[in-house]
Amino acid sequence: MKRSWFGRVWPNVIAVILFIGFVFPVYWMFATAFKPTGDIISEDPVWIPFNFTFEHFKTAVDADHFGQMVINSVTVTVLAVVFSLVLGLFSAFALARMRFKGRRGFIIGFMLAQMAPWEVMVISIYMIVRDAEMLNSLVPLTLFYMVMVLPFTILTLRGFVAAVPRELEESAMVDGCTRMQAFRRVILPLLAPGLMSTSLFGFITAWNEFPIALLLNKDAEAKTLPAWLPSFQTVYGDDWGATMAASSIFAIPILLLFVFLQRRAVAGLTDGAVKG
Amino acid sequence: MTVQTERPPSGPPEVVKSGGGRNGAPRTPRARAGALAPYLLLLPALVATLVFLGWPLVNNGILSFQNLNMRQVILHLTEWNGIDNYKEVLKSEDFWRVTGRSIVFTAINVVLIMVLGTLIGLLLAKLGSKMRRLLLFGLVLAWAMPVIAGTTVYQWLFAQRYGVVNWVLAKIGFSSMADYDWFGGQYSTFFVIITLIVWQSIPFVAINLYAATTTIPKELYEAASLDGAGAWKQFTSVTLPFLRPFLYATTFLEVIWVFKALAQVYAINKGGPDRLTEILPVYAYIEGSGNQHYGMGSAIAMLTIIIMLFLTAYHLRIVLKQEEDA
Amino acid sequence: MKRKLIAAIGVAGMLVSIAACGDDGDDKKKSGADGFKGETLTLWAMDGSTPDQWTKDVKAEFEKKTGAKLKLEVQQWNGIQQKLTAALSEENPPDVFEIGNTQTAAYAKSGGLADLSDLKESVGSDWTESINKSTVVDGKQYAAPWFVLNRVVLYNKKVWADAGIKKTPKTRDEFYAALKKIGQKTDAEPIYLPGQNWYHFVGLVIGEGGELVKKDGDKYVSNLDDPKVAKAAETYKKFQALSKAPKNKDEATPQQAEVFAKGKTGAFIGMSWEAATAVKANKKIEKDIGYFTIPGPTADKPEGVFLGGSNLAVAATSKKQELAKEFLKIALSDKFEGQLAKESGVIPNKKALESNLKGNAAAEAAAPAASGGGITPLIPEWAAVENEPNPIKGYLTAVMNGDSPADAAKKVEGEFNKRLSQKQ
Repeated sequence: MKRSWFGRVWPNVIAVILFIGFVFPVYWMFATAFKPTGDIISEDPVWIPFNFTFEHFKTAVDADHFGQMVINSVTVTVLAVVFSLVLGLFSAFALARMRFKGRRGFIIGFMLAQMAPWEVMVISIYMIVRDAEMLNSLVPLTLFYMVMVLPFTILTLRGFVAAVPRELEESAMVDGCTRMQAFRRVILPLLAPGLMSTSLFGFITAWNEFPIALLLNKDAEAKTLPAWLPSFQTVYGDDWGATMAASSIFAIPILLLFVFLQRRAVAGLTDGAVKG
Repeated sequence: MTVQTERPPSGPPEVVKSGGGRNGAPRTPRARAGALAPYLLLLPALVATLVFLGWPLVNNGILSFQNLNMRQVILHLTEWNGIDNYKEVLKSEDFWRVTGRSIVFTAINVVLIMVLGTLIGLLLAKLGSKMRRLLLFGLVLAWAMPVIAGTTVYQWLFAQRYGVVNWVLAKIGFSSMADYDWFGGQYSTFFVIITLIVWQSIPFVAINLYAATTTIPKELYEAASLDGAGAWKQFTSVTLPFLRPFLYATTFLEVIWVFKALAQVYAINKGGPDRLTEILPVYAYIEGSGNQHYGMGSAIAMLTIIIMLFLTAYHLRIVLKQEEDA
Repeated sequence: MKRKLIAAIGVAGMLVSIAACGDDGDDKKKSGADGFKGETLTLWAMDGSTPDQWTKDVKAEFEKKTGAKLKLEVQQWNGIQQKLTAALSEENPPDVFEIGNTQTAAYAKSGGLADLSDLKESVGSDWTESINKSTVVDGKQYAAPWFVLNRVVLYNKKVWADAGIKKTPKTRDEFYAALKKIGQKTDAEPIYLPGQNWYHFVGLVIGEGGELVKKDGDKYVSNLDDPKVAKAAETYKKFQALSKAPKNKDEATPQQAEVFAKGKTGAFIGMSWEAATAVKANKKIEKDIGYFTIPGPTADKPEGVFLGGSNLAVAATSKKQELAKEFLKIALSDKFEGQLAKESGVIPNKKALESNLKGNAAAEAAAPAASGGGITPLIPEWAAVENEPNPIKGYLTAVMNGDSPADAAKKVEGEFNKRLSQKQ
């Protein structure tokens, strides 16, 4: 089927415009991070930081306890995502593949859980953790983040599990695999895109969460990175350069994760059912 | 991340036969094996959710019946005040105004997000691989932007002085916009907030919708085109029905996310000017934590949950029905 | 490979949390001069309050004298009340913390602050009465006064010279005329004054002899409809009209000193240390910065100013009360209080130490106004007013946007009264 010249060109034109629209604020963050302070607040915007400087990145990284905060954030986020994937996969499998009493209740229950307004329950969470004497520990944060992303993980993975043809699983079992093996060898790879989007979602959510983290972990050694981002807005001036440098650094792991996961996911897709 | 590294030992041949959608698979006798199995599989997630969500929720409910301020928090005092907090909230005009505003706010955002997100998702499917990669990259950048950083940048872009938006508007001929104060009025502030939220939310919808389209079996299109269906017909008879459950689910997600968008709304203009851009979670935050009136904040939080249940009741009912039918 | 990494991270995480818990276990009750070995005193100071050398010297002295360690944690003003409330309710609160003078009364009432009356007796007999006022609630000393600071005019000497102005103004009218002249003769913005610099507004109200709240029966209510307050608002508006600064923002967004640093602004009303902010943004501005007292109605009566300041308090639940007092005795000693005044240019808590401000241009400009300065109402209810959205800021924006002061007062009255009558 041949398409007209116009038909071929307009999607690309729109794509470019959209690309600019979506990227610009992000570009502005990175560009600002590289601008000397004098160019940041400026009557005429400095579009490209020709007067390149790493000064803001240095300020950002030199902040007290930066290394500790990185370790804390990575620990909490990775553990929360991994736990929620494991728990989520169990549940998703049960909900998608098995018939049992109360199944509907579970599904609705997780949907309700997904609606939980964590942001306004902060004080309640704080008081529980305080009274359990677990403040300034990474354990509660990890567990709360895990539960925060768990409903989404379960419900999304359920869709992906359900979409895997049952015949596939059965044929594997006919070939002598146990149910567990069938799951691991056949279903799991097909779930790659689902695992990609849920882990990405989990990572972004846990990585970005700040209302709970700020109140629970106030000790310098127990802070996570969201405490670091606003720390450059001080009474001596809002160091926007450093703030943006910190934000850039903060965003980079998510970007890398996406690049990594996307390759996996595409590989999963091409190996899987779609291509046939 | 580790769970997906293994690949199937060999490409299974019978894959093509599928295509019945999500609920088309027949029952198998194997389901009988171990009636306890599903409960055991669900147990960890259930326990975790009950402990780390259920408990705070119940505790929040308990706090909402207390007079809980700075003093009570510091001294660990429990002062019951019955339904006073609820009475005060429900009596206040502000609360109802904020509730109405939240609903309109959510509706506008979700419609924009879903329509634009779907269109962009379909565009992604249509693009060549290079362009698709470019646009995906742009979307992901926006998505990955930390919320705090995103709001900061938007505040700048729309700043009255030194703001890029005003500068550009002035350059392209709207000289009256050179000193326009975006955060001075209710609607203009909302414009900025909505732009920010839509910008942040579209990537999720678009990317996932695109991912969903890739799972549409090609044979469906082939069959449709054999039947002589044109592009539009293919879209309405194949693409849309296939994506419908996905669109429902995503709309539901966006409704709850937008409704709960505390950080963006608060950070952009603190609910101002004159508290005119407060939505429910912001109201709960300002009256509760901000004002150190924690019992009151908890009561507003409980009411927020109830209102959210109303908003999503339709979707929940559909889900209930679907599951019944299945 | 990846699994190993994750496992390693997991283990690291557990170690971290264990370490974080283990930190706090060492607060045994001890007393006596040298009995504090092995203890750690946690001090929360606000961002910008503890200059480097002072911190270093106080720390050294404290650790030498008591054998304990001092852990300083610098806090941001933003959201500090909520954070402090939470911290004070915890098992291990910060032992000593800085608290804004306008917020001290509220925390004293909340039961979170230890009674320091004996400290006042031993080292505070000569604390300046007007500065110490904010720390006393119901006759008890709930904190130790640390320092206060009032605003001055920071101006760009070059801009003023370009406009042909030779002398700094002595009266409000001269000030206005000078700014007008800058507007006419140069392309600089005469003054940068955003609509919500409410501390300056409070100063103007004090200058008029007005009050922000009044007593109505046994509770406090808004007094914004008072003609004196209205007059202060008119003065504010008159000067604000000369500025292009946003009417609905305070002086921190954007930071006024950073705008000033561009060299295109004649003056702004700020704290002395904001000069450092400007210099940080633009080195070249340093030689052009000058200071003068905010001019008042007549040459011999400077403008009223808000005496913002900080006190040092001890958490009531701290298990290191004695050590905390030892720290206060050192930090507030004449030696270090004087050093603080010298290093930061703040007004110290004793008259006798004010000599340390000699030679500090900014502090000398601030001094004449300080004696006529004041503070927000010293009532426990006040702290709630300062929480965002601060009704006084709303009042100012309304006036700047053209409402009459009376209408503006009416607009925010409900919110203001609600805050003042908030249950404690």
